[in-house]
Amino acid sequence: MHILEVKNVKKVYTTRFGGNHVQALSDVSFGVEKGEYVAIMGESGSGKTTLLNILAALDKPTAGEVLLNGRSIVSIPQREIAAFRRDNLGFVFQDFNLLDTFSIRDNIFLPLVLANTDLQEMERRLKPVACRLGIEPILSKYPYEVSGGEKQRTAIARALIIEPQLVLADEPTGALDSRSTDSLLRLFREINGEGQTILMVTHSTKAASFARRVLFIKDGEIFHQLYKGSSSEEEMYQKIADTLTMIATGGGRRG
Amino acid sequence: MGRFFYWKLAADNIRKNSRVYVPYILTSISTVMMYYLIHSLSGNTGLSKMSGGTTVQSMLSFGSTIVGLFSAIFLLYTNSFLIKRRKKEFGLFNVLGMEKKHIARIMMYETIYITIISIFSGLLGGILLSKAMFLLLLKLLRFEVQMGFEISGPSILSTLILFGAIFFLTLLGNLRQIHLAKPIELLKGGQVGEREPKTKWLLTLFGLASIGAGYYLALTTESPIAALSLFFVAVIFVMMGTYSLFASGSITLLKLMRKNKGYYYRPNHFTTVAGLIYRMKRNAVGLANICILSTMVLVTLSTTVSLYIGVEDVLRTRYPREITISSYRITDEYIAELHRGVAEVLRNHGVAADNTLEYRSLVFLGEEQASEFLTDRAFITGFAERLQALTFIPGEDYSRLQGETIHLADDEVLIYSEGGDYEYETLTLLGQTFIVKGKLSEFVGASLHTGYLTGNHYVIVKDMSVLGELYEAQAVFHGEYGSELTHYLGFDLPKDRDAVSIHQDILLSLPGGDPSSHVESAEAAKDEFYSLYGGLFFLGLFLGTLFIMGTVLIIYYKQITEGYEDKERFEIMQKVGMSREEVKKSIRSQVLTVFFLPLVTAAIHIAAAFRFITRLLTIFNLRNTALFAWCTVGTFLVFALFYAFVYAITARVYYRIVSR
Repeated sequence: MHILEVKNVKKVYTTRFGGNHVQALSDVSFGVEKGEYVAIMGESGSGKTTLLNILAALDKPTAGEVLLNGRSIVSIPQREIAAFRRDNLGFVFQDFNLLDTFSIRDNIFLPLVLANTDLQEMERRLKPVACRLGIEPILSKYPYEVSGGEKQRTAIARALIIEPQLVLADEPTGALDSRSTDSLLRLFREINGEGQTILMVTHSTKAASFARRVLFIKDGEIFHQLYKGSSSEEEMYQKIADTLTMIATGGGRRG
Repeated sequence: MGRFFYWKLAADNIRKNSRVYVPYILTSISTVMMYYLIHSLSGNTGLSKMSGGTTVQSMLSFGSTIVGLFSAIFLLYTNSFLIKRRKKEFGLFNVLGMEKKHIARIMMYETIYITIISIFSGLLGGILLSKAMFLLLLKLLRFEVQMGFEISGPSILSTLILFGAIFFLTLLGNLRQIHLAKPIELLKGGQVGEREPKTKWLLTLFGLASIGAGYYLALTTESPIAALSLFFVAVIFVMMGTYSLFASGSITLLKLMRKNKGYYYRPNHFTTVAGLIYRMKRNAVGLANICILSTMVLVTLSTTVSLYIGVEDVLRTRYPREITISSYRITDEYIAELHRGVAEVLRNHGVAADNTLEYRSLVFLGEEQASEFLTDRAFITGFAERLQALTFIPGEDYSRLQGETIHLADDEVLIYSEGGDYEYETLTLLGQTFIVKGKLSEFVGASLHTGYLTGNHYVIVKDMSVLGELYEAQAVFHGEYGSELTHYLGFDLPKDRDAVSIHQDILLSLPGGDPSSHVESAEAAKDEFYSLYGGLFFLGLFLGTLFIMGTVLIIYYKQITEGYEDKERFEIMQKVGMSREEVKKSIRSQVLTVFFLPLVTAAIHIAAAFRFITRLLTIFNLRNTALFAWCTVGTFLVFALFYAFVYAITARVYYRIVSR
């Protein structure tokens, strides 16, 4: 069963003074199964950020349909969108987006507090998540007191604590050093192994090589996709690299 | 690169930063204008020719010093804010290849622009408004309106020098900032990571104690003399308390709120409390400044307004009768001659005296020690609270005044007290002890000495001979400082009569032009009071306006700075699932708290100071507490309205910055 379905999504930006139309997405369709781990790759300007914004209900497509669990997120009224987002979607950003006015614990609690969750329930949910991510010792610290890797794990905890349908990750390794990157990617794989559906946008081959499926987007269209199947990360890395080379050199479509 | 490149760049910079520069330039213009206005009024030749004009002028020249001082403070404060905002811009110039000396040059040109615009427009506005201000002042002082227009050369010069110096100082400060900074720091500008403020229990306790001490003084001080000497002590206590409570108390309180998990982890409180903790850290001093300034505005305005409105009351207090004649020679012949003279003047003017009050008395001060009054200077401990005025009146005069006959023995007295009852059965002074035979509930001759700042006991003794003995005794004690026996005659005149010329004629009619009598007329003193209180009122309005401007300025810049800093924070909150409405709500409650905290605190300060100030006002002969209360409430409402208006404007700017 598809947890996320994207059907013929099109996005056209009109420049501020009318006139020029810029087509960011021309016709994108794909589906994500429950429990999948999908990476979307593309170069800058390929439309992947636009796509992510539409999936996150931060932006609306010009045409087409996005279904989450069979429900159209395009037609959700504006005033319900924030609630919908915090009930169903977990976000992990490149620059962490933690609030320095909150401790690590409170940063993780933020979406739950906004959803008016009971204090005991929040504590109950925090325990396993914090334990899972290994951030229990730093819960009382503040974002400016911890390392980048710890910040990103905090952000993941914040995404996971709402028990989301889908985790959306936007270049989650972009601001991390290679060691933190490795541990973060392993973490993502493990979380996925436990059944969490993840959709990640990245242009890092390494990050994509951990995903079970990689979609390549170019000039606003899904250009190609790769299934990891039983191949190892190294083999996957090679395949992705080949594909990227092919896209860059303008090779034809391949099956 | 042409010579005009820097000039053009400087002008562009100001234009591009108009959101922060327009208020700055407006403030500069207004302060220049106000300074010129008050300075030129203080030297106005027309004013100096009027009676009482010099008093007003010395008040105004004091005022111009204050205006100058606060102009400097406000402009330097605003400038420091401006330069912080623009650091990034200068960093960019630096990265693009400009050297510091080039940046310094741009900055100098900017300052020159601003100086020229401000001083020129300010002076122009000042010169144009000076006539209107002069007319307003004359109206307040009840002086006659004069024609003519005056441009004051010395005032222009003084303005040029003062503001030239202030702007030069701002330039020096800016150059120093640029000189010290490294390009990368310039680029980063204000955004340096901030630690969470620590809870400072000690400072909180100190603040509470300090405010408590100030309030205690304000609420318990009874005597105006003590109030006068303690006023500044109390003010300093409250100021220290305000600063430390804003800095630490607010954070302590917020942290306690955060500890209360059931309260804290609610959507409405969560972001607000956490945001406020940081906001208060950054803003404590600014908010305390606003609070103190607001309190100053309110006190200045409410007191000067009520004094001005209350001039008639003041006159009645100071002069219980329209005409009062105090004579220090009380022989029967002298008094008879005095009466003849007065009667003749009244006959000539065709009026009859009304409400006549006449008695002899002896007045001196004593320090109350239980039932004993110490009059010896060597024993007086100097507790102003305990000093009491004692007015001794012979029984026969009392009987005549009250229209009832009393019988007292040599050592018996009746007492009527103003400001606190006399609690004892006996009264000892100058080595004599009197038995208090009764306490009077009213006395027509009372309120005669309300001009004194102390409590007042009217002591009715048996007769003139007892009074004579007391006189002798205190004369021995005090020598040349001793009091004289006084004959007092006061009466009212019909409303429509020319009291001033009657007063003049009575002065002339005094037996032999004798200086043993002192004649006062409420009407004659009126002008003097109006020029004094009108001058104070004008000064209050003027300084009030200046302080309000300062308050507005601080608030405005505070909001803008916050706006830029909060922008990022609220973007994140929206990303993690806060709706626009929730963000707005959270912003609103934080901004409202920060905004109105100083106003509420100022209101509390004013309420606490109310009694204290009424005591002080008695020094100015204003005893109408109701009037002062209304003036205080009125001023507060007007001020609050103004404050809310400023809030509405700055909040709009703030939302625009945050939501862009």
